[in-house]
Amino acid sequence: MERVERDAIQAVLTGDREAYRVLMERHFRSVHRIAFRITGNEEDAEEAAQEAFLRAYRKLPSFRLEAAFGTWVTRIAMNAALTLVERRRREMVYQPKVEIGNPDVDVLASLPDAAPGPERRLLDREAEHLRRQAMEALTPMERTAFTMRHMEEMAIAEIAAALQVPANSAKQAVFRAVSKLRGALAPVAGDLR
Amino acid sequence: MRHLAEEDLIAYQLGESADAEAIRHHLETCSACSVVSESIAETLRVFSWQAIPEPDLEQAWTRLRGNLTVLEAAAPRRSNWRPWLLWPALGSALAALLLTVFLGVLPHHGRTRPPVSVQGLAVRTPGPLSAEPADPAVAAHLESAERLLTAVNHEQGPLDTGTREQARTLLLKNAVYVQTAHARGDVAEASVLEDLGRVLTSLEHEPEKPKSTWRLRLEMNTDGLLLDIRILRQNDEQKQ
Repeated sequence: MERVERDAIQAVLTGDREAYRVLMERHFRSVHRIAFRITGNEEDAEEAAQEAFLRAYRKLPSFRLEAAFGTWVTRIAMNAALTLVERRRREMVYQPKVEIGNPDVDVLASLPDAAPGPERRLLDREAEHLRRQAMEALTPMERTAFTMRHMEEMAIAEIAAALQVPANSAKQAVFRAVSKLRGALAPVAGDLR
Repeated sequence: MRHLAEEDLIAYQLGESADAEAIRHHLETCSACSVVSESIAETLRVFSWQAIPEPDLEQAWTRLRGNLTVLEAAAPRRSNWRPWLLWPALGSALAALLLTVFLGVLPHHGRTRPPVSVQGLAVRTPGPLSAEPADPAVAAHLESAERLLTAVNHEQGPLDTGTREQARTLLLKNAVYVQTAHARGDVAEASVLEDLGRVLTSLEHEPEKPKSTWRLRLEMNTDGLLLDIRILRQNDEQKQ
């Protein structure tokens, strides 16, 4: 760990709350980014990132200075975001969904003919919508494992450690996610490039 | 020809396959597997980019700062014990003690030592266990808060009007007790009451909607808060 972070932690542990800002400013962006990938929305990403930094602060007296603060707080954030997503799913009220992966439903064909703007922009917007829905159809564990592996390029072992699951479970979650996403986008995959 | 499983092809495309060379060779000769493999690659390409919003660090810090309590000093990790360095200090201390006795300051030993003000100092005591609430009304206040938080923590669905009203009443009282604790120099008690105040504010003000964050915030802030409240209240009851 860099000296500036070590010094900041030691200052916090002697009662200087302001010193925690150093750690927050260095790692909040990446923690927020990962939380966003898992939760899929800005409000929850902010909430999870805040909780991660709060939990890390409270556990700072037990933190080993030899470890990397960034890795540690990222792991806390992943768990916080995952918990939040699972909670949202339990609380979610029923919302009618557009069927994805059903070959009988041609989503692109259902776009209005007289839509404003160039066709490409419409398709992009629709593609984004479909991507979002496909991601939302994954379980929280699958989405987390997939985004961490594919978008954040984290190693399977690292993901497994952060999520406190066996490496094989993390790997299977990634594989299931890819399989589901492929199935969901199969009818329109060519248009999403 | 035996085809590869989708899982093997996903592992291959993700760079997680232990048999990458064999799979690559198979794909060169098997058009069916090649189509599936390309479909997986395309799926990964589609999901390889995502717009990420930029957080407002200043705002994030302001919010986080409001939830940070002062941490107590951690136990030293490494011993820097150098016994020989103590001898000069002990010598000086002994000389000062002898001088004090000689000057006759000690005859005032029966006088009560004035209390040391801790106002403005960081908490160095081991949490609320060492706090000594002086106001007996605080115990009743903490008991009410404990009951409310426990009930809300176990509640499902939106908060009713009565609960919000109770949170508001407790919040008003809490503000007074925070001030009293600060004035008394009891930083530990003030800190717990401030945490309680933030939770009560959330309960009172947060709109109830599917995306509202009051329940999460409640969980965050009651992490240890209920325990702190119970300890403070028990200390207070023992003092009465």
